[in-house]
Amino acid sequence: MTDSMTLDSYLAAGGVLTNPTNVPPRYRAELMKLMATFVDSELAGAAGFADIINQGPGIKERIAAAKIVLEKTDNADRVLKIMGEFGADTQRYATHHPWTARLDRDADIGASRSEHDMRLAVFNYPLTGWVDAVVMNLLMSRAVAEQLAEFSTVSYQPLAEAFRSIAPIEAHHGELALEGVVKLVEQGNDSQLQASVDYWWPRVAVSFGASDAEKFKSLQAMGLRRMTGAELKARWQAETTRVLTQLGLSAGPG
Amino acid sequence: MARFHDLEVTDIHKTIRNAVVVTLKPVNGAADAFDFTQGQYLTFRRDFDGEELRRSYSICAGKDEGVLQVGIKRVEGGAFSTWANTDLQVGDRVQAMPPMGSFFTAIDPTAEKHYLGFAGGSGITPVLSILKTTLAQEPHSRFTLVYANKGVNTIMFREELEDLKNLHMGRLNVIHILETDAQDIDLFTGLVTQEKCAQLFEHWIDIKTVDTAFICGPEPMMLGIAAALKDHGLEDGQIKFELFASAQPGRAKRRVTNGDAASQANQTSASVTLDGSTQTITMPKDQSILEAALDNAMDAPFACKAGVCSTCRCRVIEGEVEMLANHALEDYEVEKGYVLSCQAYPVTDRVVVDYDQ
Repeated sequence: MTDSMTLDSYLAAGGVLTNPTNVPPRYRAELMKLMATFVDSELAGAAGFADIINQGPGIKERIAAAKIVLEKTDNADRVLKIMGEFGADTQRYATHHPWTARLDRDADIGASRSEHDMRLAVFNYPLTGWVDAVVMNLLMSRAVAEQLAEFSTVSYQPLAEAFRSIAPIEAHHGELALEGVVKLVEQGNDSQLQASVDYWWPRVAVSFGASDAEKFKSLQAMGLRRMTGAELKARWQAETTRVLTQLGLSAGPG
Repeated sequence: MARFHDLEVTDIHKTIRNAVVVTLKPVNGAADAFDFTQGQYLTFRRDFDGEELRRSYSICAGKDEGVLQVGIKRVEGGAFSTWANTDLQVGDRVQAMPPMGSFFTAIDPTAEKHYLGFAGGSGITPVLSILKTTLAQEPHSRFTLVYANKGVNTIMFREELEDLKNLHMGRLNVIHILETDAQDIDLFTGLVTQEKCAQLFEHWIDIKTVDTAFICGPEPMMLGIAAALKDHGLEDGQIKFELFASAQPGRAKRRVTNGDAASQANQTSASVTLDGSTQTITMPKDQSILEAALDNAMDAPFACKAGVCSTCRCRVIEGEVEMLANHALEDYEVEKGYVLSCQAYPVTDRVVVDYDQ
């Protein structure tokens, strides 16, 4: 056997890494950021939804919301465990952030992150009530589906496996959201629903990240990205527009 | 957070000239923490000339053997593996973190599966653990092992594999591929490449029946095998990898000092807050904040010590420090005064840092 291959060329050729000891420094940094972004977004998303449970109009809706809170927290835990293998203090991690903290509804932060965590910007905005929460969940779960499909192929095998097992769970949250929206449409909440779509559409769209060609190239070489944020966003826009149209709603601006 | 535990060496034996099998027993009631899954590895730490090295070695024992064993092959110039092969004695204590890794699939006693393992050299260790456990706990499953080595005398666990073939008659098939030693069949000589795999799948291995493949070896071998498996219809989820590359995260070089130890200017008074309590220490300016905290028995968080994982992040409240490398913090975090303490050296005579913020 010839061992004469650098890790960089191994990764560029589609190789996978399997444990913290063989991960090069730059790779490790990007991987930790990727994981922290997911964990923080799930924890913040779950925390935001927890406040919504009691606003559910019926017992079924409350069960669905509670299930989403439970499972998003569980999904965060799966990825946090992997961060723990890199030395992150998992005990402290879950409790030292104010996950329920939100900015003003009208704050304009673009894609920037908050002061204390790596959650996607979209999770910094507050939900105004049940209808708003269901719409946000519908739009965001579609975005998560695209992102998880992308990240299920990352070159760090334990994380790719975690994302592969998380993807169907998150997809089910999208189905629950769709059921919720269908019900709300039947009850004649169209204008309220459309207002929430208009509010969340651009904010979810931003979560695919800004396009930095240089950055993408390096992530691609490390096997941490395949498609650009713009490509993923285009898929999300097409798919979600189709779903909204079927519901009698229209896609948001931008 | 994973912590290191003490383990006692209860047995050491050579499997080939330059590789040992070390049997370990957790002490101080840590036995539960070391209840491993087949295919997992242990991360050891040891000080070499004042510098801590961490190395991972796969468990080679099966689940049913009732022992914790790792195989350590000596690597040219490798401090840890050389030490383990030459100096380590029965009765010694070593430190390791509990088993980690996901190089396994769930065992199902009713399964009737065909597993295919590829191992290159010492890459046999986790594959051996998997095949022993699987054959013992899934009585209807079978295992094909393709085992690549330089020559006959570098094959680790050769006799043990023969014994396993007899023990699990008809359920374990081992194909040795030797790089330099000629064999009866030409196909079994050379490197395990994508082409070699394709040839093996033609006549020797019924690839269509394979449920899961395990690969552990050097990078080019893993790439070639994975490509061949995908060519023959296996999905990503059916291929499990374990890679122990020689590359280790880099270590930051210490700043060069001017050697004028008598100078007061070399000393800093650092006030360090961790877990709610504050300690004021006097430290040299050529020492990192993290090292100073650790030297003063503070349990400061760290992992990579390479300015990468951001586990050692702290906030500078007062004074100034200089970071040698920063691969983890974003500009906005640095603006807020966050630093990677493993990379941060005091500049001012007094600094105040906080790990709790």
